[in-house]
Amino acid sequence: MKYLAEYRDPKLARALVERIRRTATRRWTLMEVCGGQTHTIVKQGINDVLSEQVEMIHGPGCPVCVTPLEQIDRALHLASRPDVLFTSFGDMLRVPGSDCDLLRVKARGGDVRAVYSPLDALELARRNPDKEVVFFAVGFETTAPANAMAVWRARELGVKNFSVLVSHVTVPPAMVAILEAPDNRVQAFLAAGHVCAVMGWTEYEPLAERYRVPIVITGFEPMDILEGIWMAVRQLEEGRHDVENQYVRAVRREGNQAAQDLMERVFHVVDRGWRGIGVIPSSGLGLRPEFSGYDAEVRFSLGFIRADEPAACRAGDVLRGRIKPSECAAFGTACTPESPLGAPMVSSEGACAAYHNFARVGRGAQRGA
Amino acid sequence: MSSLASGPVCPVPSGQHDRVQLGHGSGGKMSAQLLREHFLPRFGNPWLDRLGDGAVVPVEGAEIAISTDSFVVSPLEFPGGNIGHLAVHGTLNDLAMMGATPRWLSVGFVLEEGLPFDLLDRVLDAMAEATAAAGVSVVTGDTKVVDRGKADGMFVNTTGVGMLHDGFRPDPRGARPGDAVLVSGPLGRHGMAIMAVREGFAFESEIVSDTADLSPLVASLRKELGSRVHALRDATRGGAASALNEIAAASGVGVELDEAAIPVPGAVQAACEMLGLDPLYVANEGVLVAFVAPEAASRAVELLGSHPAGTGATVVGAVVAEHPGMVVLRTGLGASRVVDMLPGDQLPRIC
Amino acid sequence: MCLGIPGRIVEVRRDAGLPMGVVDFGGVRRDACLAYVADEVDVGDYVIVHVGFALSKVDEEEAHRTLDILRQMGELEELA
Repeated sequence: MKYLAEYRDPKLARALVERIRRTATRRWTLMEVCGGQTHTIVKQGINDVLSEQVEMIHGPGCPVCVTPLEQIDRALHLASRPDVLFTSFGDMLRVPGSDCDLLRVKARGGDVRAVYSPLDALELARRNPDKEVVFFAVGFETTAPANAMAVWRARELGVKNFSVLVSHVTVPPAMVAILEAPDNRVQAFLAAGHVCAVMGWTEYEPLAERYRVPIVITGFEPMDILEGIWMAVRQLEEGRHDVENQYVRAVRREGNQAAQDLMERVFHVVDRGWRGIGVIPSSGLGLRPEFSGYDAEVRFSLGFIRADEPAACRAGDVLRGRIKPSECAAFGTACTPESPLGAPMVSSEGACAAYHNFARVGRGAQRGA
Repeated sequence: MSSLASGPVCPVPSGQHDRVQLGHGSGGKMSAQLLREHFLPRFGNPWLDRLGDGAVVPVEGAEIAISTDSFVVSPLEFPGGNIGHLAVHGTLNDLAMMGATPRWLSVGFVLEEGLPFDLLDRVLDAMAEATAAAGVSVVTGDTKVVDRGKADGMFVNTTGVGMLHDGFRPDPRGARPGDAVLVSGPLGRHGMAIMAVREGFAFESEIVSDTADLSPLVASLRKELGSRVHALRDATRGGAASALNEIAAASGVGVELDEAAIPVPGAVQAACEMLGLDPLYVANEGVLVAFVAPEAASRAVELLGSHPAGTGATVVGAVVAEHPGMVVLRTGLGASRVVDMLPGDQLPRIC
Repeated sequence: MCLGIPGRIVEVRRDAGLPMGVVDFGGVRRDACLAYVADEVDVGDYVIVHVGFALSKVDEEEAHRTLDILRQMGELEELA
């Protein structure tokens, strides 16, 4: 695949590893924000081959993992209704709510379907006029333009039986929350490449300045990650704290204006809870009041619900990079991909699942039961 | 507990199942759990407990192989074939993986009311063609019809009987340190061919199912290599990763794979990238994994490759004594990671 | 947040006013909404597609430059 396969060349990757090894004079602590980057890092063993030069702390960049428990419970409630056709991205189906998950609701007779794109969900609404189609609109800024368009099109086309359950989160407030934490150890960030393809990087410049941290916008292939790490290490060695762009083939400083415009028209900034972390002010997107007809929470009068996490789940600490998944007492025992206690063990981007599924042999990895 | 007054109340907490879920049919850990907790306690016997692709039973001094499989694929027709091809090839292949030459099949149909006859005929044509090509006879069968909505078009079961040969008993417990690990062809074609026509994920591609009768390939291995073929398994649901894990676990050995050696067609790779799937876990219907003595490896590759269904056969790894029961993959960077069985089905992702 | 892959636009059209296209990902083709890149792309261009939406046009010049730099780095490392 063009513009993909070339960034997986093992020879070039090894050369970059050598370059990083020669550039680092000490060990640095970096955080990659995005779950897709975590996936590549753990899958390729990048954190292992560079273990002496960098410690990679895995950030909360997995929208599946951070979707608040209350939203999952709302989704489960809607999916159980006989008049609802509940649609979602595939990776949300196994995320545990307070008692249940969407796959179990499907087993009990709920009409739950995975789709690739929110436009597929809208199409299902058009083809099933007797059903109420709800789409679980989760994601970071990368996915918000797609979800915004689905709502916009629904209104344009006069589709009456379509609504979205929104749980969008945005990256910069999460980075601030991490940087503000008293026990923060992160010295540089690999920013999420596709989030920045949409939003650009102007929001990150004040962060780099105020907190004196290098921020390198990075892609997702092994060579992108390695080049991003090298650029961050180089800045740290040189005492700089700039925003740099590794992912030049896809990201520009101003981002995608058309996408930002539609997001602005359909969504507004709201406070949002991050599962395991808590409420981060102004860290989410919600539907503007003029689109409340497409807001599933309004259409189905989903009021306040209280939801409790299993006590043993330390997702919050994992998502904030305080502990590695393997340091959680429940990891691999009470909490496995087959019976997850929290979201990071379910999503294949979640740090816990990545550690479990891509475990290292050398570290005495235990096979799951 | 959620305090949503009219919300669903799931009586069983996460982790336990009170109803059958799709994951129980995925070929991964939930499938294994289903067998362990529901079927084996009731039916356990020396043949069943081995959990091989089929059973070897004594018949007055000889030994015959019996295997059964049910087919529930939806849609019934997909690029490269239909449920009829799968129903015949699937059971022929299971018999072949045990070392048997398939001879006779029984076929059971559960047809849904309203199934068009021309579709049924296409399925039957496929089965007739596949059995004729394999020199196998359908000797008995059964048909039931159920109400509309109860059978997804049709469900098919085939049970096959085959003749075993002296000195050729590939067995999931037969892998030994030093063995070469082979695959008979490129991975992921069937699963992605199905995904291409699945509502909500459809895409256009030239990917066609790899459904094929593998028994001639196994016959070639048997005739020339005999007992140097230690273990065979067809890599169906759960993909090559599941088949390798099953043999590693049964044999109590470790498997090391070389990522660069694993063959995946470009279009399958592209489709997997788009949906966030790993080709190692995608179903095949015409690929086997073979564990052979090291000195027989290159000849085995040649023998497999001499058949159309074995085009692209290659060595992908080796058996080691370390990390018994675990399959480990060496990445391009030189790091290693464990390739475990999945709990249930692999889900497309956005992240 | 992430799963965006590059593909080549092979067809463009409008569905009731919405710019759409067919994108080829190494032999696999799928519809994608081009509304967010409509002004800057045409058939033959590469875009990054996430959940059925093109989010960004691939800057092919930059892509080649990055690869050239990385390849040079690779050669230097071999000599080092």
